[in-house]
Amino acid sequence: MLDLLQRTLEGLLEAGPYALIGLGLTISFGVLRRINLAFGATALLAAYVGSWLHVRWGVPPLGVWVAVIVITVMVGFYVEWMCFDIADDSVMAMRRQSSVALGLDAREASVLAASFALWMQIEQVAVNFQPNHLHPFPDLSSKLNFDWGGIDLRPDRILVFLLTSGLIAGLSIWLKHSQLGLGIRALSSSQAAAQVCGLNVLRLRYIGTAVSCVLCGLASCAVLSMDGQVTPMFGMWVLLKGLTCALLGGLGSVRGVLGGAVLLGITEAHAQSLWGPIGRDAATWGLLLLALVVQTRPLKHPFFMQRRFE
Amino acid sequence: MNNALCITDPGIGFYTQWIILALMGLSTWLVLLTGRVSLGQQAYFGIGAYAAAVVTVMFNGSLILALLVAWLIGVIFSAIISRLLQKLNGLQFALATLAIAELVRLGLSSWTWRSTHAKGYEVGPDGVHGFREIRWLFENQMGPETYLSLSACILLSALFLIWKISQTKLGLSIQSVGFDSELASVQGEPVAGLQTLTQTFAGGVGALAGALYAHQATYIEPAVFDVMLGIHAVGYAMLGGLATPLGPLLGAAFDLGLLEAARIFEGWRMVIFGGLVALFLRWRPGGLLNHAALSQIKHFFIQRRKPDEHSKFA
Repeated sequence: MLDLLQRTLEGLLEAGPYALIGLGLTISFGVLRRINLAFGATALLAAYVGSWLHVRWGVPPLGVWVAVIVITVMVGFYVEWMCFDIADDSVMAMRRQSSVALGLDAREASVLAASFALWMQIEQVAVNFQPNHLHPFPDLSSKLNFDWGGIDLRPDRILVFLLTSGLIAGLSIWLKHSQLGLGIRALSSSQAAAQVCGLNVLRLRYIGTAVSCVLCGLASCAVLSMDGQVTPMFGMWVLLKGLTCALLGGLGSVRGVLGGAVLLGITEAHAQSLWGPIGRDAATWGLLLLALVVQTRPLKHPFFMQRRFE
Repeated sequence: MNNALCITDPGIGFYTQWIILALMGLSTWLVLLTGRVSLGQQAYFGIGAYAAAVVTVMFNGSLILALLVAWLIGVIFSAIISRLLQKLNGLQFALATLAIAELVRLGLSSWTWRSTHAKGYEVGPDGVHGFREIRWLFENQMGPETYLSLSACILLSALFLIWKISQTKLGLSIQSVGFDSELASVQGEPVAGLQTLTQTFAGGVGALAGALYAHQATYIEPAVFDVMLGIHAVGYAMLGGLATPLGPLLGAAFDLGLLEAARIFEGWRMVIFGGLVALFLRWRPGGLLNHAALSQIKHFFIQRRKPDEHSKFA
C-alpha cells in the first residue's frame, strides 16, 4: 500500500516538469495552431549550448538558464520564419484556421513536412556541436529527500510542481484579462476575423511564438537541472511528453495541461513499476491514443471545464 | 551515412532500397490523397516485415507466399485502424497514427518466439534485438538482380492499379474527398468508406515495402520502423508532389540522390538536407510535381503532338 502511494506521489510530482513542457506546446500547437515538429529539437540545441557554456566556460547556473532561454527563442524564430511565415499567407490556411477542428490542407501538410526537416537539421547541428552522448548540465537537484511517514519525496520536484502551478495560473489570468491575451485569443479563434478587427496579426503571432519559446526554454532548464545532464534523446522526450499533456488536457487549454500532466505522470509511474520501460512508453502512447480517440473534448472536471485559453 | 532505412547498400541494392522507400512514400501519398496526413505508415512496414519473415523463416514458406501474407495482414490491420480513427481529422489523425505505429513498434519489441533452424542456429523474433537470419534469398539463390526485378514489378503493379482506379468514378470520388471532404459529403459521396478503402490499400502497400526490406536486409529490428521512417515517407510524398503517384518516387530519389551526392559533407548531410527541404517547401508547397507542373507537362506533350496530327491531314 505504501509502495502504491509512493509511486502515485512520484507520478504526481513528475507532472510539474511535464506540465511546464506542455504549456509551451499548448501555446504553439493549440493557440497559435503551429504544427511545429521542431519544438523538441529547438530545446535540445539550446540545452547543448547551455551545457557547453557550463562545462567549457564555467558559466554559473543563472547565466546558463538565461542563455538557454535566449537560444530557444532565437532558434524558435528561425523555425517560425522558415516554416510558418508562408503558411499564413494562404486563404486556405486562414479558412482552415478559423474552423473548430484543427484540419490540415495541403499547405499545412507541407508546413508539417518542413518543420520535420528542420527538426532533423537542428538535431544534427546539436549532435555535431557536442558529439558525446552525455553532457553535464548545472545540477540543482536536492541531495536530501523529505521522509514523510516512510514516503520519500524530492523537494526540487515539489518546488517545480508548485512553480508550474503558479505559472499556469499567471498565464491563464494574463490570457484572460490582458489586452495582449485577448488579441492572442482572437488570433487563435480566427486569424481572418482578427485581421478584419484591426489587430496586428504579425505582432501577435511573434509575441505568441516568443512566449511559447520562453516557456520551452524554462521547462528545459527546470527538467535538466533536476537531472544534471542532457542526452540526444531530450528533444524527442520534450515533444512527446509535452504533446501528450497538451492533448490530454485539451489542446489550447492552459489549465488543462496540468490535469493532463498529472494523469500522464501517475500512469507512467505505475506502468514503469508494473511492466518496465517498454510498458511505460506503451502507456504514454496508449494514453495519447485514448485521448485522441475518446477526446476531442477536454477533461470533464469543473477545474478544466472552461473555455479554451484560460 | 545511412538513409531512412538505416542501411546503405551500394550497387543494385541501392535501387531496391529506392523502390522500398518509394513504396513507403506511395503508402503515405495514398493517405494524403484522402485529405489526411499519416505519420504512422511505418506500422504497416513493421507488420509486413515481421509477417513475411515468419512465413519464410518459421514456416519455410516461399517468398511469394510471404509477400501475400504480409500484404493481407497489412490490409486487415489497416482496415481496422482506419475504422477506429474514422472520426479523427487533421492533427488528431496524424498523431493517432503515430501513436499506433509506436505501440506496434513497442509490441514487436517485446515479442519473442525462438525456435531452432535446421542448420542448428536459433531463429525468430527476439524482442528488441529484432528478427535476424532472414536468409530466404541466399538459401534459394535469388540474386540481387532478380530481387530488384521482383521489387520493381510490385511497384509498377501498385502504380498501374492506382492509375487505373484514378480513371474510374471511384478514383474521382476519392480525389473529391481529398480536395474537400465536406463538399464531397454534400454531393453524396460515402466519405468515410472512401477514406477507409484508400487507407486500407495504403496499409497493404506499406506492408509490402516492409516484407521486401526484411528479405533484402536479412534482418528487421524495431528501431528501423521508428517515427523517422514515417516522417521521411511524408517528406517523400510532399517533396515529390501530391498531384501524381510518381511524386513519392521522385521524393525518394531526391533524398537518396542527395544522400549520395552529399557524401563529402559527412556528418553535415542532415543539416544541408533539412535546410534544403524546408526552403524547397517554402518555395513550392505542393512539391515538385504539383498540379500546375503536371498541367504544364501535359500541355507540353499536347503541343508537341499537334503538328504531327496536322501533318497527317496535310
